Amino acid sequence: MRIVVCVKQVPDVAELRIDEVTHSLVRAGVPSILNPFDEFAVEEALRIRERNEGTVTVITMGPPQAREALVRCLAMGADRAILLTDSAFAAADTYATAKTLALALQKLEFDLVICGMKAIDGETCQVGPELAELLDIPHISYIKKVEINSSANTVLAERLTEEGYEQVRSTLPCLLTATKALNVPRMPTLIQQLTAKQKPIETWSTASIGAERKDVGLTGSRTQVLKVYTPELRSQGVIVTTEDLRGVVAQVIKLLEKEGTA
Amino acid sequence: MSSETGRGVWVVGEQKADQLKSVTFELITAGRRIADALKQELTLVLIGHNLEHLTGALADYAPDKILLIDGEDTKSFIPEIYADSLGSLVLERRPNAVLFAATYSGRDIASRLAAKLGLGLAADCTDLLVDEKGRFVQVRPAFGGNLMATIFQPSARPQLATLRPGMIKGGKAQTKKTPMIEKLQPQPRPTKWSKVILKTVREVAEESGNLDEADVVVGVGRGLGSKENLRSVNHLASLLDAAIGGSRGVVDAGWLPHNQQIGLTGRAISPKIYFALGISGAIQHLVGVRTAKQIIAINKDPDAPIFKVATFGIVGDLFTVLPPLIKELETRKPTAQTGT
Repeated sequence: MRIVVCVKQVPDVAELRIDEVTHSLVRAGVPSILNPFDEFAVEEALRIRERNEGTVTVITMGPPQAREALVRCLAMGADRAILLTDSAFAAADTYATAKTLALALQKLEFDLVICGMKAIDGETCQVGPELAELLDIPHISYIKKVEINSSANTVLAERLTEEGYEQVRSTLPCLLTATKALNVPRMPTLIQQLTAKQKPIETWSTASIGAERKDVGLTGSRTQVLKVYTPELRSQGVIVTTEDLRGVVAQVIKLLEKEGTA
Repeated sequence: MSSETGRGVWVVGEQKADQLKSVTFELITAGRRIADALKQELTLVLIGHNLEHLTGALADYAPDKILLIDGEDTKSFIPEIYADSLGSLVLERRPNAVLFAATYSGRDIASRLAAKLGLGLAADCTDLLVDEKGRFVQVRPAFGGNLMATIFQPSARPQLATLRPGMIKGGKAQTKKTPMIEKLQPQPRPTKWSKVILKTVREVAEESGNLDEADVVVGVGRGLGSKENLRSVNHLASLLDAAIGGSRGVVDAGWLPHNQQIGLTGRAISPKIYFALGISGAIQHLVGVRTAKQIIAINKDPDAPIFKVATFGIVGDLFTVLPPLIKELETRKPTAQTGT
């Protein structure tokens, strides 16, 4: 089973703050991490490899420091790591990102591709299915369980829906997108982390994947950001105790009525 | 496709259990607004099997046209076939914009369509509008809702966007219209690969609403104490036709299924009322309820961060407040017995 996992380095969104004076996003001092959904994807790839043999290749597109995310994947146990880095790749939207990844993946051989369902910074859930379309393979998104049948060359997965899940079977090659329900990722030991730092990371550029500059990064993007602003902060409302319980209940009912929900 | 080509606004609706989902009406309302501003026609697209009976309810919402992609091959949700069928129609008729719901299925179809045709796609938008320059633009949150971005797709047509459910109120049109209905066959299944849905499992209680659709969501945190205490929460939810969601802690403890987790590693929701019961309000949870209209919080800890964002905060024990609230709602809810 040749598995490729696409990962992304992201700012730890939970650490982001809005400056109360300037109303701008404070990025300074916010650590970069491996996107949590990609961690589920890497963990699942490693488990599939443990059950079915094979290789796990991790690939990311990003600035040179994104190699840290790959080191984390190597420490978890990935076999091979590829960093797609080139100034031409910068400011890519989901289409340009999927296009770049697709060109890179066409240089690799794979049976299974796994992506996190979304990155916690962009939060689009789009790159996985877009990549599958560009590779002309089926995909199963939002999976919570997966099983490979190597002899039949199929994958059986449970895909989250609004009210539960559906069980889907697809032929391989196939692309999956991982949710938190899939697993609890392993924590690499200190020794594994140190050893991972010594492992090679391949660096690929626009030329390595046979891309033209017009296909990638900002010029390959179809969307343009016209304006970025911080949303109005929620203001604090009324806080009460339960001393006047009847009054409290009446106020809750009033609010429900105001919104037409009671 | 250049910016000069493309006419018409299409919205791709969703149905479930033989009914149109409320997000379909929200999409029609959003689409109507854009179509009117651009002086173009509004088309509703439905994809599935035996769809014709759904169109009866639509005259009040007045799309100009309804396209039904209707056949055996679109009976179950295979996004590849949905996107393929929609894609060939888009190429043939060249609309200016196509809008989808930001749901598990809507995002799948939209993504595959965007990649297939080399188009842009604005994800999970909280607003869709025509700006002062007459351009259709999309507003979306990023970085856990810390930032809002206005997106425009300058050259590729149609512009594509997914709309987060609950953001735009779906309303009837001012004048009724009998839309023109056209029925089309889906594209055949590819021979290169095969994909089948073997079974569909419902985990959310039958009486409990859908997190995307419900006007009221009751969210529970570890402050609930135990899984058994969900019973009174379920009761409250059923009285309000509410959906139930929870914090990461509650889901990790196995009290609720994973698709009911609200927050950074779960879902973002936009109900009219969000009840935060025993939820402390960690930032990881709050990013999932930023677009809720009103937040009613009950928590023992007066310093819980949830009180910083609550419209109405009650400092106290959950089980002191719930019984009288439930009782009051029960007396107000008309039952079959009293409905003479």
